[in-house]
Amino acid sequence: MKLSVYRFDPDKDSKPYMQDYDVALQPEQRMLLDVLELVKARDDTLTYRRSCREGVCGSDAMNINGQNGLACVTPVASLPAHVVLRPLPGLPVIRDLVVDMTAFFKQYHSIKPYLVNDDPAPERERLQSPEERQKLDGLYECILCGCCTTQCPSFWWNPDRFVGPAGLLQAYRFIIDSRDDATQERLEDLNDTYRLFRCRTIMNCTEVCPKGLAPSRAIEKIRLLITKESL
Amino acid sequence: MKRALAGLRPWLLQRLTALYMLVFIIYLLAHFLLDPPHSHAVWRGWILAPVTSIAAAAFLGALFLHAWVGVRDVILDYVHPVGFRVVALAVLGSGLMAMAAWAVRILLIARL
Repeated sequence: MKLSVYRFDPDKDSKPYMQDYDVALQPEQRMLLDVLELVKARDDTLTYRRSCREGVCGSDAMNINGQNGLACVTPVASLPAHVVLRPLPGLPVIRDLVVDMTAFFKQYHSIKPYLVNDDPAPERERLQSPEERQKLDGLYECILCGCCTTQCPSFWWNPDRFVGPAGLLQAYRFIIDSRDDATQERLEDLNDTYRLFRCRTIMNCTEVCPKGLAPSRAIEKIRLLITKESL
Repeated sequence: MKRALAGLRPWLLQRLTALYMLVFIIYLLAHFLLDPPHSHAVWRGWILAPVTSIAAAAFLGALFLHAWVGVRDVILDYVHPVGFRVVALAVLGSGLMAMAAWAVRILLIARL
């Protein structure tokens, strides 16, 4: 396999460049992250994030042949002989495949990603019916890897004002939660030219989500809720 | 909602105008396929009938509103410096209004 990897060290390089690595694959290299680990053993200046290596932490999100994904859950068998790896698009590069995710998390925090409920806390827990709990399926599984948001052109153009698919998926997760009392405030906060309505329904987000979630569907549901509220 | 229709209005407008245009175009196609006018006088009579001319005027109105929201979105996405953005929106708005005035003139002259 031939890997072309985006390299940039701000301390040494005046501009980014692509570096090629020829890798003789062994049977134990089943995922793209395994290949990267092999390259890293050969060239320890190559920098990328990784942690759980099983698609739970979301650290090793990167652009693989033009499409964002997690290196640890991308099977080598699904890739062509030449693989081009770049950092997540739309965010400042810190070094090689590592990006500064401040803008991403700022938007995530802006949707208040926690339950808002001023009622006195019950002795054990705030209960939900199975039906109410079921509404959170397909939403709570998001690992905040940033694949969706950084594949979204609307986020590229307005990262400081558009919440982005990951943030909006999480916003819907709390809007629809039966235990949350701030539904109205959340909808009002999102009813803005930029925060929600920059979404062009391009659906790159749903296309690339490594967890198989559908942020575009959540966005559509928020729009419908706001429409219903305004009538 | 306090900030009623803040981001919703243009989004909804774009969809409603699209829906109206779709219905009108289907009606137009159906009309010309099923009952094509065989002379200019018949065509004139059809387009100047009150219902058709109101529907056609509404179509043009929907088209200009739809274009306003669509191109405004493109400007909001790509043109970030405030000055350039104001100029771009002004050019767009005045261009569309000029075209709307032109369309109204054509429809009014046709009725004379």
